Amino acid sequence: MSYAADVGITVLIYVMLGVSLNLLVGYTGRVSMAHAIFFGIGGFTAARLTLPPADPAAASSYATVVSGFGWNWLPALAVAAAVAFLGALLISLPAVRLVRGEYLILLTLAFQLLANQLMGLLDWVTGGPYGLSGIPPVELFGWSLRAPERMFGLMLVATAIVVAICWRLGESPFGRLLKGIREHDSAVSSVGKNPVVPELLAFGISAAIAGGVGALAAFYYGSVVPGNYTLDVSILIVSIVVLGGAGNITGTVVAAVVLGLLDPILRRTFGDSAIPWQAVIYGAALVLMMRLRPGGLLPEGAGITRLLPRRQRRAGEHRTPEEALARLARVTKTETAEAETVVEVVGLQKSFGGLTAVNGATFALPAGKVTALIGPNGAGKTTIFNMICGTIPVDAGRVFLRGQDVTGSPAHALVRLGLARSFQDVRVAQRLTALDNVAMAVPGQAGEHIVQLALRPWRVRRQEAATRDRALDCLALLGMAEKAYLLAGDLSYGDQKLIAIARLIATDCDVLLLDEPTSGVDPASVERVVDGIGRLRDLGRTVCLVEHSVHFVQRLADRAVFLDQGAVVAEGTVDELMQSRELADLYFGT
Amino acid sequence: MDLGLFAQLTVSGVVIGMTYALLGVSFGVIYATTKIFHLAHAVPYATAAYAAVWASERLGLGLGLACLVGLVAGTVAGLAIEFFAYRPMVGRNATLLTIFLVSLGISVAFPNLLQIGFGPDNKNLPGFQNRTYELGSITLSRHDILSVVVSGFLILAVVLFVDRTRFGRSITAMRTNPTMAAAVGIDRKSVYLLVLGIGSMLVSVAGLLFTLQGVASPTMGLAPVLTAFIAAFLGGIGSLRGAALGGLLLGLVSSWSALFLAVDYGPVVVFGAMFVVLLVRPQGLLGKEAV
Repeated sequence: MSYAADVGITVLIYVMLGVSLNLLVGYTGRVSMAHAIFFGIGGFTAARLTLPPADPAAASSYATVVSGFGWNWLPALAVAAAVAFLGALLISLPAVRLVRGEYLILLTLAFQLLANQLMGLLDWVTGGPYGLSGIPPVELFGWSLRAPERMFGLMLVATAIVVAICWRLGESPFGRLLKGIREHDSAVSSVGKNPVVPELLAFGISAAIAGGVGALAAFYYGSVVPGNYTLDVSILIVSIVVLGGAGNITGTVVAAVVLGLLDPILRRTFGDSAIPWQAVIYGAALVLMMRLRPGGLLPEGAGITRLLPRRQRRAGEHRTPEEALARLARVTKTETAEAETVVEVVGLQKSFGGLTAVNGATFALPAGKVTALIGPNGAGKTTIFNMICGTIPVDAGRVFLRGQDVTGSPAHALVRLGLARSFQDVRVAQRLTALDNVAMAVPGQAGEHIVQLALRPWRVRRQEAATRDRALDCLALLGMAEKAYLLAGDLSYGDQKLIAIARLIATDCDVLLLDEPTSGVDPASVERVVDGIGRLRDLGRTVCLVEHSVHFVQRLADRAVFLDQGAVVAEGTVDELMQSRELADLYFGT
Repeated sequence: MDLGLFAQLTVSGVVIGMTYALLGVSFGVIYATTKIFHLAHAVPYATAAYAAVWASERLGLGLGLACLVGLVAGTVAGLAIEFFAYRPMVGRNATLLTIFLVSLGISVAFPNLLQIGFGPDNKNLPGFQNRTYELGSITLSRHDILSVVVSGFLILAVVLFVDRTRFGRSITAMRTNPTMAAAVGIDRKSVYLLVLGIGSMLVSVAGLLFTLQGVASPTMGLAPVLTAFIAAFLGGIGSLRGAALGGLLLGLVSSWSALFLAVDYGPVVVFGAMFVVLLVRPQGLLGKEAV
């Protein structure tokens, strides 16, 4: 019985460590090879806080090393989690500074080894290579939870809490934002959301949970040694996450149970000689899984959550563009009066080295109209576009949005002021559904803030229903309602362009900049994209687009700004401009 | 500061640094082209050592021949990883992360297989007569001299091979522009095999050099491979000279740190240096491209 409970506790520790790391590796897409360190930081912190203070009467050199503060276990656990949280912020700073992929793996690997080495060296903190022992067990209602049977109950409760937290975070609007950051953080800021804070929180929360688990493990085992927090442990936890399925909490739980039971089963069946086989088996499992089923046992979105969308999908199918238009037009506030100027571009200048790309371009975007920037290759269209969006700095000149100078404002600030852009290469999150891609762009979601998630669950839930409904309307407007629950990566490029446009609508911005909306789209889908842009005008949005095809510009645009060599040559309706022999020659070449 | 000690530490730093440089180049030549975070680079390292010990113990071969067996076995092990593990993945457009996880799986399983096959004990490779020479206040061993000469020669040879030969230039082409390289008829698979072969051979030599003076153990590959990563990233990915310089600097810094810190802090200094470089200059000391 004790043995079974002891094995059970080990398994639960794996479950909690795996689930917490999944938040970072699966949902946020940041691989950390240092999870064991946060587990250890929690263990050592809790150990030092709960150990009894040094007894001056029995002072020996050994006793001073293991002296502590005599805290109760619960506050010690909280502080352990907090210390791990802060430690994680330290290593996440370079990750936020665009250290990604292999660099992040290397960085966390270095951190794992550095910190584990330090645990053995800083003996005045950690007790050195032999660690700290004599940590008091958890006391609950006068019960001492040293025996495995008793501790197992507490661990089970802790696991339930941890799984619930990670589930709640991962499957909430906050989790959707994390997944968006995983796929394209520039797309997240392009819809007006700050990608940095959620990423930092993912690092921090993941580590804080590991720290709390480390504290519980320290109370149970009564000792902490640096040898418990080695790279092997970190690798095992990463393996649990990817074998179970990154981004799938159920998968992590299953994998943690299987890998956690592997060791005791092998040991009981074959004796101690079987110890190395455990690593051989999970190493081989890793190789085979990545080869045959790279998403893991239960890939993201598989399992219980897959059953839900079927019910919701029916709701989506009946939405026609007209219904959606009626609803969206009611929601959307278009304050600007007819024919008023919303955006003014004055005297923009940009040189790249010796080449002058934009030379004093001045034009305006009238409200509720579709304006196209046209001109021959090298006219500076894309450069101007990028300067309006703030992605490249201007050399000279100003951009005004409703009279306010917004020159060089970052993307998320512009979205707050009502101006959003799309990307030529769509930057749609491939592993999210079309609906989630659009829902991510809806502004003012309480569920994207973890405090609100925890304190006001009902409000978050109500708002999330409204958010999804609205996102579905945005898709329905473009005739995409029946594809709302499909993964964006499974859809055609044309569909993805439409998702990107729906995402723009969802931002509530009334000025939308579209970068080559039909480039790379097959001819049949081009019609749908062109219709979709027409819908933007129906909604009363002000649209500016860069487009090469004169044919589509003629159909789409109310006005065109003709650029050549970085300056505005002519403005007017597309037909007027195209009737000018001179401009046509410039455009098509002679 | 004690100048004698400083001189000794500098010399030891160069000796260690040259081995690190060899490791750095061995990983750099693979990573720069394939972009595979080749954690299983530890496999050829340990394979070379174990094969040499096996050839010496079981076949009774002399030290030179045993090392040759080790070198061949290590290189073959590296090629096998490319052929059986990476190639099918790259062919199926797997992400670099999944390939890294395959590499991780191999590097988890392999030391344990060694332990199952050869036991957990340390193995000696007998037959190397080490001797020390005193030059004023500096002590040098035959092994030190051998390491520096072999590492230096191999690094130079690989740099010249990549810069000057047709095969070598195909590596550079594949590294800088894979699509264009493929368009002019360079076969990705053979280039991958070539870089894995070169890298595995170099790391095998490093493994043998280590075993001559130390012992072979199942997990012997992990620490040197991390050193190799750090040296290569420190110097800047894509630059073999950078990887060599990174290794040399790493050796010097960890050796000099003994002036100020307890010897145990050597690895801390190494990983700390790596941490700082990644923070301040993520493209590496000699790297040009942004991350």
